Amino acid sequence: MSTSITVSVDAQIKERVKSIETMPSIPAVFLPLLDMLHLPPDLVKLDEVVRLVSYDNTIAAQCLRVASSPLFGLAKSPESIKAAVISLGLRRVQTILLTCCMGKAFPAKNWALDPIVFWRHSLGCAMVCRKFSEKLGSADTEKAYMAGLMHDIGFMVNCMVFPAEFAAAVEHAAKEQIPFYEAEQSSMGFTHCETGKALAERWNLSEEMVRVIACHHQPERPEAQHPLVALVHLSDLLCRMRNLGYGYYERQKVDLVHDPAWTALLREHRALDGVDLVRFTFELDEAIEGIFQLVSTIFGAMTKQGQ
Amino acid sequence: MTAGTQLAKVISTPPRLSEAVDPVYRQIRDLVYKVSGIYKAEEKLYLLAAGCERRMKELKTKGPREYWDHLTAHPSRDGELRQLLNEITIGETCLFRSPPQLDALRKVILPEIVGDKAKQITKRLRIWSAGCSTGEESYTLAMNMMEESTGLLKSWTVEIIATDLNDRSIETAKNGIYGDYALRSTPDYFKRKYFVALDDKRLEVKPEVKKLVAFSRLNLQDDSKILFMKGMDLIFCCNVLIYFDGPSKAKVINHFFSNLNFGGYFFLGTSESLLNLNDKFHLVHFPGAIAYWKPSLKSEKL
Repeated sequence: MSTSITVSVDAQIKERVKSIETMPSIPAVFLPLLDMLHLPPDLVKLDEVVRLVSYDNTIAAQCLRVASSPLFGLAKSPESIKAAVISLGLRRVQTILLTCCMGKAFPAKNWALDPIVFWRHSLGCAMVCRKFSEKLGSADTEKAYMAGLMHDIGFMVNCMVFPAEFAAAVEHAAKEQIPFYEAEQSSMGFTHCETGKALAERWNLSEEMVRVIACHHQPERPEAQHPLVALVHLSDLLCRMRNLGYGYYERQKVDLVHDPAWTALLREHRALDGVDLVRFTFELDEAIEGIFQLVSTIFGAMTKQGQ
Repeated sequence: MTAGTQLAKVISTPPRLSEAVDPVYRQIRDLVYKVSGIYKAEEKLYLLAAGCERRMKELKTKGPREYWDHLTAHPSRDGELRQLLNEITIGETCLFRSPPQLDALRKVILPEIVGDKAKQITKRLRIWSAGCSTGEESYTLAMNMMEESTGLLKSWTVEIIATDLNDRSIETAKNGIYGDYALRSTPDYFKRKYFVALDDKRLEVKPEVKKLVAFSRLNLQDDSKILFMKGMDLIFCCNVLIYFDGPSKAKVINHFFSNLNFGGYFFLGTSESLLNLNDKFHLVHFPGAIAYWKPSLKSEKL
């Protein structure tokens, strides 16, 4: 009995997610850029990125502005995408471009969730993932950034294709001050993890990115035993405890070091043992102002239009 | 030139405050953190710089680089660091200093402790404000517990033990009289409910609040005395351990761990860290607040 219910919910999610593809707002460069994320860094061609971006001047301009945020590392705006790549590296410019595309891709019309709050959480989580993976000495810190940025794309799916059900879940979460994930489960019977997974699969995101999106709230699941999933799970929790949550008080006690994700991450990165978590938290607090500013640069205009 | 590059040129980069600060202050910030556990965030770096400047004036040093030598190479470096810590923590105490700590206490911790102790016959909550200074924190805790006296803590006995090394601070604390500056973060609701106006500038804590707090003198380095502070559910020790050297700090923290009941919590100041001096406590996060938890017996067995 329960299997058939699950199947029908899954089928329903997949059917509704299809409609997202017809959205006119997705910038033409977005999906090709996402595809390039699969490639090893040395196979991504600068000219190809520049050619893609040249189709969309507003995204290029925004990318150059964003590159000059202290959080991305340049003291002033680079003059061109090429110049930005020379200073920041192709990988980072690619993730900045994708961040800008995300802002354009999802019109925040009648969202059940305050879009500014959502983007602060997503971008905050992206920054924390990147910083965390830097501390662990990981080779691909931009991958960690993208995983953090996209982990909650299921929320956007919910806003667009399950608006009524999701609005009820949002209200339930804020009223009971419980984690969002639990509120969705109890009021809709499925969560942003399933809807996000459906979109991620249609977009042909990498297998590990799909896992991040599908399992970041269940680190104990066997599929979640992956350093990137563990990293996103921990970063998401930390953000929610440091003013980068979903805009309501979550009655929660979070013990990161004794979380199964910590153990999973430690297996891969011994350096985790040496991370000063309190100082890391204070450093996140310092970055918050910059994250808020970036959100208004990237997503501000878009959310105003949508409302 | 594309439209994008033109646009990017027009948008000038706003000046950043942090660029104005001499990088040596970041070195000093890191040193202060390593020694005391106090972290001065980037946006508060100017406060650290101002503290250093006051010390530099006193010492007649020429610039921050020379002052750095005072802190690291001079024979009197330990004393100088203490002076600097005094400068940067001065005037930090006030009532309702950390609302997120109070939220964590009332919304998450109290329900947990009350639930854990549900089966005990004597319903008693013991809180220790260690290094209470002039009483701001102690009374803040008392008022917040009183708010719960008809709800979560109905039929509970609450004891707040407040100790400090300094006799004069304790006398001031007992008087419970505070001016605008100390009351700057106190919500009007609490001012009306728990204070009486002494004159147009000062408020005095009401007797029923004072009754809840027992002030006494205690030296945290006095092992024989600290042993008697048993059966605590919560210990608050804000900006006190920063003056202790590594080994004394570790010793006091071990005492705190023993003084706490299983399932109890230990709070430091909002920008203070335990610096991994104790691995028995679990570092836990609440929204906007950090605490150290002595795991309950139940969770240790799991």
